Amino acid sequence: MKVVGARLPRYDGVGHVTGRTTYVDDVRLPGMLHAAALRSPHHNARIIDVDTGPAEAMAGVRAVITHADVPTLVYGHLSGAGIDGDEPLLAKDFVRYKGQPIALVAADSVQIARAACDAIVVDYEELPTLLDVRLAFEDGAPVVNDRFGNWYKEFEGGLEARQIRKGDIDRAFDDADLIVEGVYRTQAVEQAPLETQVCVAVPEPDGRLTIHTCTQALYFSLGVVCAHLELPMSKVKMVGGTVGGGFGGKVDTASDTLAALAARKSGLPVKWRWTREEEMLASSTRGPWHMEIIDAVTSDGWILGRKMLTLHDAGAYGRFSVYGLTKHSFHHTGAYTIPNLHFDGYVVFTNRIPTSAMRGYGVTGLSTAIEVHTERVANELGMDPYEFRLKNANRVNDTSPNRIAYEDPSTVEVLQSIAAATGTELDGSLRAMTRGERTDDLLPDHLVGQIAQGGHG
Amino acid sequence: MDLVVNAVSHEVDSAPLTSLLEVLREELDITGPKAGCETGGCGACTVLIDGEPRRSCLTALCMAEGREVTTVEGLGTPEALSAVQQAFIHHYAAQCGFCTSGMIVASSAYVDRGGSPDTGAIQEALGGHYCRCTGYVKILDAVAAVARGDDADTMSTAASPTSSYVSIGGTGNGGGGAA
Repeated sequence: MKVVGARLPRYDGVGHVTGRTTYVDDVRLPGMLHAAALRSPHHNARIIDVDTGPAEAMAGVRAVITHADVPTLVYGHLSGAGIDGDEPLLAKDFVRYKGQPIALVAADSVQIARAACDAIVVDYEELPTLLDVRLAFEDGAPVVNDRFGNWYKEFEGGLEARQIRKGDIDRAFDDADLIVEGVYRTQAVEQAPLETQVCVAVPEPDGRLTIHTCTQALYFSLGVVCAHLELPMSKVKMVGGTVGGGFGGKVDTASDTLAALAARKSGLPVKWRWTREEEMLASSTRGPWHMEIIDAVTSDGWILGRKMLTLHDAGAYGRFSVYGLTKHSFHHTGAYTIPNLHFDGYVVFTNRIPTSAMRGYGVTGLSTAIEVHTERVANELGMDPYEFRLKNANRVNDTSPNRIAYEDPSTVEVLQSIAAATGTELDGSLRAMTRGERTDDLLPDHLVGQIAQGGHG
Repeated sequence: MDLVVNAVSHEVDSAPLTSLLEVLREELDITGPKAGCETGGCGACTVLIDGEPRRSCLTALCMAEGREVTTVEGLGTPEALSAVQQAFIHHYAAQCGFCTSGMIVASSAYVDRGGSPDTGAIQEALGGHYCRCTGYVKILDAVAAVARGDDADTMSTAASPTSSYVSIGGTGNGGGGAA
């Protein structure tokens, strides 16, 4: 055993502590240009006209990129999974969120690039904004997304929501002694890596492109760049792996594609590093979630059924939201086994920054909602919250909402750890409930037949 | 204008009000100090000026003229790590590494002036530095270890039969090491 339990040094540790690690912003090449973006000052507006002439006339400006320079303007983050793209790489007829890029300027210095962006004249017609998912379904609500409307309507089977139906939800609510409702809303969170979005795109003499990238998803980003530029993957080399923090905020290929276009147009290497303000204003965030939970429970502390409605605020465009919501739906019972389920989840569009991954995509805010709700149900029952949780805890071969048998659920172990950390004794009957098998008092009639094949039932 | 960085004198062309960070990174290609926010908020650009930690993004070039500027590159080398650098490796205090340059610089100043291993005192000294990866605990552990004078050889070998740490030489220009 040379590795397990050993204190292995990080392979990149010496570089990090001596300042020798080369991050993307530390890459510098002869003739390298610097880029800046013109971004929308409005949450929702029609673009009547864009005049890049004054910028192009400035000394030191080498390339100005607009939607007209992008071979494939609209490509979706989930296009590879058969979900249509909805987001233009650069805004064309509308801007749908504050900070949406309209043009990119590459110039001899970043100061010139920024001044050139200021010189571009855009004529906007401001439109009413939609910033609250709860208003998206109302008649007359501003329309946000040009491809899907105000919510995604193309789930499998032509459904407008991600649905989960399991067991007999009506019977669960008929049999319940108590029904507990709760509404939980979480906010957007910026991942805020110390390194902002950054890339260096280099046109090679043989027509290929080299891109130094901060992406967390190198081959995914390669696909995105090649799709927009209509290039085979053999023509683009991505150099990555050294990321100054990501936390989900660097899976959206935020800068590589536009810098690549500017590099090809100018024939020179282009570095594009976002300012901290841009990072906060215009890079994807963790999405806000609106969650309504209704539980049917018995007086002796079993959760018979759950009805749940989720409105996921995707921001202005879909990106990975269908994936995030689907993952959310699979986890909507959290650490507990509930045999009868009725779940509807919507991907809703608003005039906010498009949302994306952050540490437990689709699940982190959900876990907060579930645990707060679980505590409330226990309190309303007048039951010890440990007893209530241990009773309904996931056990081996219980099935998830999407009918996957849990091989190694950790609910019981986590509860034991929490008890230990808070100095709580789990004694007597509670200790007896910490076993992993679902038998005897842990297998009431309503769970018989719910255990996966080969299980303890 | 003359600028002394890591004991080397440079003739620089940047305008007097250019930020020291920009001069270091863009004119001198000294890239250890990082541009995290460029508004004095994150600490990633921290350098020593006459031994005191300063935000290079908020320091004009003319304010550094005639003074000793030390960046993370001047505190130790891969072949001769300072005690603080050694401790950051040992305690896994560097994760993505982007805040690490500033953390190392500020921590070195702290232990050089005899800072105590007290958690609260270290938190005070590093209060202006953001880290998004580690949760800070490992960084506090690393600085406390140096402030206590933990033996670097013990640090590097006790827990790890496969360790490849170099032993502390303490030959870096700025030299960490309260031990």
